[in-house]
Amino acid sequence: GRGGARGGAKVVVEPHRHEGIFIARGKEDMLVTKNLVVGESVYGEKRISVDNADQTKTEYRVWNPFRSKLAAGVLGGVDNIHIGPGKKVLYLGAASGTSVSHVADVVGPTGLVFAVEFSHRPGRDLINMAKKRTNVIPIIEDARHPHKYRMLVPMVDVIFADVAQPDQARIVTMNAHMFLKNGGHVVISVKANCIDSTVAADIVFAKEVKKLEEERVKAQEQLTLEPYERDHALVIGVYRRQKKAKTSE
Amino acid sequence: RTLSFFILHETASGYALFERIESEEIGQELEEVQQSVTDLARFSKSIKLRSFAPFKSAAHALENIMDVSEGVVNPSLKAFLEMNMPKASKKQAVQLGVSESNLGGGIKAELGYDCVHNDIVRELLRGIRLHADRLLAQLKEGDLDKAQLGLGHAYSRAKVKFNVNRADNMIM
Repeated sequence: GRGGARGGAKVVVEPHRHEGIFIARGKEDMLVTKNLVVGESVYGEKRISVDNADQTKTEYRVWNPFRSKLAAGVLGGVDNIHIGPGKKVLYLGAASGTSVSHVADVVGPTGLVFAVEFSHRPGRDLINMAKKRTNVIPIIEDARHPHKYRMLVPMVDVIFADVAQPDQARIVTMNAHMFLKNGGHVVISVKANCIDSTVAADIVFAKEVKKLEEERVKAQEQLTLEPYERDHALVIGVYRRQKKAKTSE
Repeated sequence: RTLSFFILHETASGYALFERIESEEIGQELEEVQQSVTDLARFSKSIKLRSFAPFKSAAHALENIMDVSEGVVNPSLKAFLEMNMPKASKKQAVQLGVSESNLGGGIKAELGYDCVHNDIVRELLRGIRLHADRLLAQLKEGDLDKAQLGLGHAYSRAKVKFNVNRADNMIM
């Protein structure tokens, strides 16, 4: 209806293939997450309330792929984001926490998001967002120095990174060596011209994958974020993949 | 001369000191350590909790994380180690594995302990971090999560320093 996404009754919400993410089917299909803090938007995003069969209501928030690399990856058809209900996520490059708030919705009340951001200005917004979402632990610190926040982070299931720094691969693997479980995953948004603007994007991506492999991260998937971002790729890898236990003979 | 090997693990709830059993083998079996840390039954045979000192308050925890993150030996950490680390002697050498070399240098300077920060220590700390809930018997499941949440907010607020409700701070 005229109210856009708030049209309510006409919108049907279905689970996405990725657990914890949903699709709102109305006039247009939209990616949404189940709002952990009902009645509130984080950054002005639209909310959709759906009546359940048992008279209760569930509220979802629209997840804009132009504002979140992870949402762009999901709409781009990524095979597995490794972020789902109950997961512990170390999120590097949390910025003001808009995308983090959706990850918090996805992992839900039994999951945790450790959100690292070094810049103070967006960091304040991140802290304020985390006041309402108690599954988000804000960490205002430099992701290049993971030992500085070692008292705040447990072993995690996945590291998501959107730090747009030339030494991104090193930042991610240093954090993995301290905090990522064996067999855990890294999901990295790589912006080619942040790493090296003198060569083609594909060559930059290949070099990043090689750097990761030198530090025990085996790349499993690489996906362009077109049309939502230019010269961006989502690189997904597994850390210290465990070999099958040897059977005794 | 036998070697006693200890490991310091700093948590949001307090300081923990572990002792490594069968420490003669240290340095020879990185791969074996890597394999053993994921299995709690195996890992808890090679490492024992020697002592745990909880922080007394949120302010106490904040003061300590501020020092730990800068590699500074807080008086509480110094007292904890003095109370729980054995003295080295002619018969017994003592080493302390630490997460980070600056803090190790500070501990060495203040207390004289031989501090070690190498691949084996990093691997053992991965194991301790993985099983922390179970190894720290004084803590209930979920206690560390809560402590990390509270301390994360306190640490981050301290880092941004100014009032986080910046709308209240009009510059006139």
